[in-house]
Amino acid sequence: MTETFPPPGFIPTASAIPGIAVYAPAPEEAEALPEIIEFKCPQCQAMTAYSVADGGLRCTYCGYYEPPTRTIVGKSAQEFEFTVETLAVASQAHGWGEARQEVQCQNCNARATLPPGRLTHTCPFCGSNRVLQQDAPQDGLRPRFLIPFKIEADACGPIAQKWLGSSWMVPKALKQKALAGFTGIYLPYWTFDAVTQAEWKAEVGHRETRRRYNSSTKSWESHTVTVWRWESGRVRKFFDDLLVPGTAKISRVLLNTLQDYDTQALVAYEPQYLAGFLAQAYDIQLEKAWEEGREAMRDATRSACRGQASTSQIRNFSMALDFSEESWRYVLAPVYMAVYQYNGQPYQMMVNGQTGAIAGQRPVDWNKVWLVVGAVAAPGVLLTLVGLLALILGMVLPPALGAAAVLLVPGVVLLIIGGIIAFSIVNKARRMDDV
Amino acid sequence: MSELAGWETEVLITVCPQCDWRYIVPVAKAPLRCPHCFATNLEPVTEDVEKLPYLRPPELVTPFTVNKTTADHRITEFASGIPYAPRDLNPEMLRSRVQPLYLPMWLVDGDVAATWEAEVGFDYNVVSHQERYSDGSGWATREVEETRIRWEPRVGQLERGYDNVVAPALEQHAALEKAVGAYKLGDAAAYTAGTLETAIVRLPDRAPEAAWTDAAPAFQAAASEECRQAAGADHIRQFRWSPAYAGQNWTLLLLPLYATYYLDDEGQPRPVLINGQSGRVYGVRRASMQRAQRTALIIVAVAAILFLLSLIAGVAGLAVPPLLVVGGIGGVVALCIGLGAIIPIFRAWQFNRKPIEIL
Repeated sequence: MTETFPPPGFIPTASAIPGIAVYAPAPEEAEALPEIIEFKCPQCQAMTAYSVADGGLRCTYCGYYEPPTRTIVGKSAQEFEFTVETLAVASQAHGWGEARQEVQCQNCNARATLPPGRLTHTCPFCGSNRVLQQDAPQDGLRPRFLIPFKIEADACGPIAQKWLGSSWMVPKALKQKALAGFTGIYLPYWTFDAVTQAEWKAEVGHRETRRRYNSSTKSWESHTVTVWRWESGRVRKFFDDLLVPGTAKISRVLLNTLQDYDTQALVAYEPQYLAGFLAQAYDIQLEKAWEEGREAMRDATRSACRGQASTSQIRNFSMALDFSEESWRYVLAPVYMAVYQYNGQPYQMMVNGQTGAIAGQRPVDWNKVWLVVGAVAAPGVLLTLVGLLALILGMVLPPALGAAAVLLVPGVVLLIIGGIIAFSIVNKARRMDDV
Repeated sequence: MSELAGWETEVLITVCPQCDWRYIVPVAKAPLRCPHCFATNLEPVTEDVEKLPYLRPPELVTPFTVNKTTADHRITEFASGIPYAPRDLNPEMLRSRVQPLYLPMWLVDGDVAATWEAEVGFDYNVVSHQERYSDGSGWATREVEETRIRWEPRVGQLERGYDNVVAPALEQHAALEKAVGAYKLGDAAAYTAGTLETAIVRLPDRAPEAAWTDAAPAFQAAASEECRQAAGADHIRQFRWSPAYAGQNWTLLLLPLYATYYLDDEGQPRPVLINGQSGRVYGVRRASMQRAQRTALIIVAVAAILFLLSLIAGVAGLAVPPLLVVGGIGGVVALCIGLGAIIPIFRAWQFNRKPIEIL
């Protein structure tokens, strides 16, 4: 028993029976978040912003530094269950933020109208950094954790330059172009944990060689048959921090390329981390994202079940799958986004703010591509044409038929190989600017 | 003799020389056979009865709600359906030996002041999913709600009074309650002299001080349940408290029981008990292996005689051939009857393998 009563941190709570006093732990005091937090240097009143290099707030004018107050929580970051109440809150959040919100800069009094879902704002007139706390949509499910930026904005230019230079299809002029204007933005992600337990059964085919006596040829012959046998098994898979994007406003193709985030680096949410960056609230609801997460989990579990079969020949496959220990988190993950122009066309580019992985659209120098396609296809085309000529000549001069055969066979082979390579080159070039 | 006077009728304190159980018996009813061990008759206590503890009359009595007729009916049910039952295990014998009896039990009232701490559990629902897949029809999803418990710490203070917390007055109380079931205490009425007209009374062998070791956990269980309700929780665990008790008041309550017995193969008395309130019967129903073996022996003897006759017919068949057939058939029949001798023993053995039946 505790020696002091009530123990520290306990407060009286309602009791349903007279004569019995009940004390419960005091609820964690909800931080009284100011509607807007402005980051001003306490020394020179200039603006401060999150410094990727230092991991805290830094004044770029006087060098003042304020270290972060939160530590890395990693995978131990609190996870939430899919309670009926949580799902109700999540569904009520739907449709928030349709109205745009207006903020007034407390530094220069400039007014700005923000689109729904924006959590941060930098005044375009005085450069004041601010983080919006209360008017953010889905306040009921505000982000509790984030992955801080590890890559500095200045490092994005060389990364992009290297990436553009890595493909021979990119126009030469673009490879030498200095790329800048990378904007750091925190994107919303849902992380999901779950255990899947599946029982499966299927008919699995086994190739067997059998010998039989052929009475007409009076000899033993071998033939191969597929023998189908029922097999069954159980699979238990644990999914840890499956990431599902929380926004539909960014290309899913680009996000899927970038989303290899390490959740070991998760820190508790603190407005400091957002200072100087943009941040986006989620617009894909929890339930919809969880549906996507479940699809990925069940497909992975199905693959694991099929992988247990003794051969890859499977038919009449069926399985029953139960989810358990499901939990979720709403986190923010860092990316740098940039748009560059080429021949008057805009191209998107994104850099993973944690790992430096890059994805985006790249313009294609189609002249170069067709030249290469022509060069690849040319040997096959030429040999085939010469072979055909030799064939025609062979009708008049039969000895030429032998030469025609010698030319036609490798010609057709080279034509087919060249065609396949040319097709893949064109296909790859077409995908270069997909989003 | 002041405490004995409280019984309001002329009573005798008796003891069983065999099992040492003590009873209060109306003078008019003595002598009686001990309704516990049934080994011998109860004898008057020769020592100075004033030195015996707990002679006071009880404050409360739970009356017999199962009357003699119903008890007889339950005894008949108990004694029926036993193959090769011991000769003594028949309804008439059991009914003739029925002895109504009251068992003592302590009830304690008390006030408690305590600080307590526990983990209380609140039920909440989570949404989960079950999926089915088949090659033909693809995925089918079913949403399911599961109830889970969220445990939270609570501490508190308690000032409550608890009434009628039960504490055994007999060392064998738990075993007896397990045998005949629990009693509902709400039907108890004040003791009157008429109580002893129907039954004798077993005297407690546990003082309130000794019974307190059982009463204290009962107080804790009652307090734990009340603290759960006070916290508005669905569950409670790891309840700990530091109680200070006051105003304890002990009451003696009598519980009704019918006791009878039968003698088994070895001549040992086997008790049969009937809860005087609920009518639940406890007793060992066993087949008599002696009777089964005797029946088997009779069958074997019949088979042997038949076999002998068949043998004679067979020998005579050497002279009169048709008798050879009669001898052969007789031999087969004798063998079948002989094999049938195992049946009584097997039935008795199989019946005795069953656990004790509570009706």
